[in-house]
Amino acid sequence: MSQDEYTDEFGFVAPLKTTSNQRRIPDEGFPTGPAIGERLPDFTLVDQRGRSVDLHADRADAKAAVVFFRSAVW
Amino acid sequence: MTQLGELQDALPKFRAAGIKLYAVSYDAPEALAAFAEARGIEFSLLSDTDSAVIRSFGILNTLIQPEDIPFHGIPYPGTYLVDEAGVIREKFFPRHLANRASAETVVDSALGKILMGDDEPRASGGDDAVRITAFVHGGGGVLKSGPVRQLVVRFELREGLHIYGEPVPDGMVATSISVRGPDGLHVESPVVPATQPLVLSGLGVTLHVWSGTVDIVVPVWADSRLVCVTRPVDVPSATLEVTVRYQACDEATCMVPRTERLQVTVPVEPHDVPNIDLLAKNGQKVTSMDSMTHLDKLVRRFLPG
Repeated sequence: MSQDEYTDEFGFVAPLKTTSNQRRIPDEGFPTGPAIGERLPDFTLVDQRGRSVDLHADRADAKAAVVFFRSAVW
Repeated sequence: MTQLGELQDALPKFRAAGIKLYAVSYDAPEALAAFAEARGIEFSLLSDTDSAVIRSFGILNTLIQPEDIPFHGIPYPGTYLVDEAGVIREKFFPRHLANRASAETVVDSALGKILMGDDEPRASGGDDAVRITAFVHGGGGVLKSGPVRQLVVRFELREGLHIYGEPVPDGMVATSISVRGPDGLHVESPVVPATQPLVLSGLGVTLHVWSGTVDIVVPVWADSRLVCVTRPVDVPSATLEVTVRYQACDEATCMVPRTERLQVTVPVEPHDVPNIDLLAKNGQKVTSMDSMTHLDKLVRRFLPG
C-alpha cells in the first residue's frame, strides 16, 4: 500500500494528516468504560426533540443499545 | 453518519428483538434535530454538550487535546448492549476510529443467534448431508468505509453428523475457513462457537465437535482502497473468495475431507459524509443537513467569550 501523510497504518485516508490528534489510533486496551456485567450508569440527557430522557426510566425494563458516536455535524 | 443511517435502517430489527436504541454525542440538540430531519432518524439522539456523560463513562478520547477545537469532547466510539435489568451484556468498541460494529451484530448479540437477512449476498455449497451457505451479514452486506461486516459460513448438518473444531487427532481434519478479497479488504480471524466434547471411550480420545447449525464468523471491512472519503468509488462491487475445509462424520463412519470454494459478491457503496467543504465534493454521499452552520456553532462553543 502506498503510504503518505494522509494514509494511516490501517489503510484509511482522510483529509487531515495522520499526525493530527483527531486521527490518532488508541493503543490496544484503550478505555471502553463500564465493564460487561456492570449496570450501565444512570444518566439523563436532552434528545433531538428537546425532551429530557432518563435512560433507564425511558427504556422501561426493555433491553437497550446505547451507542456513543463522534458527531452528526462533521 | 453512516453508522446512524444504518442503525435507522435496522430499527425494525431492534424493535423486533425488543431493544430500545439510543445514540449519544456531544452535538447540540438543534444539530441532532437537523440531522434527524435530514436522515429520517426516529430513535433517540441524546445531546451531551459538555461531554459530562462521555467523561463519566471514562470513554473521552484523550488523544485529542483541549486545544483541538472542535474535536475535543468526543468519545472513543462504541456501543453498549444492556439487558432488561440494565446490566451491560456486551460492548462493541473497535480500536480504529473508522470501524463500527454493524447494527445487525448488536441485534444478534441480544438474540444469541445470527439472523440472515433476505437482502444479504450469499453463495451456497455442500450437499444434502452438509449444506453450506456463505453470506455477508450486516448493512445488507454492503462495504463502505469502515463498518465491520461478518462473512458468515453456516453449516447445516444432517441429524447424526458432526464436524470438528481444533484440536483434532492426527489424520482428521478440523474445520477451517479462509477468505480472500480485493486489496483494501481486511479479513480478521474467524470466530467459532463453543464445541461439544465427543468421547471415543474405546480409544481414550475426546473430540471437539459441532452439530446441527454451525455459524463461523469472519469479520471483514473495507479500507480506503475500496471506499475512500476523498474520492468516488472506483469499483462498485467486491468478490470474496471463501475456502471452506471440513470433514463430516457420524458415530460410525467419516466422510472424506472436503474443500469447497464459494464466491460472494457484495456491493461497494459511497460513505455518508457531512455537508462540509472539506468532504462534500469527493463523490461520496453527502447529507442534506446544513452542516457548516452547525459546525460553526460547535466551534464557537469552545471559543472564549
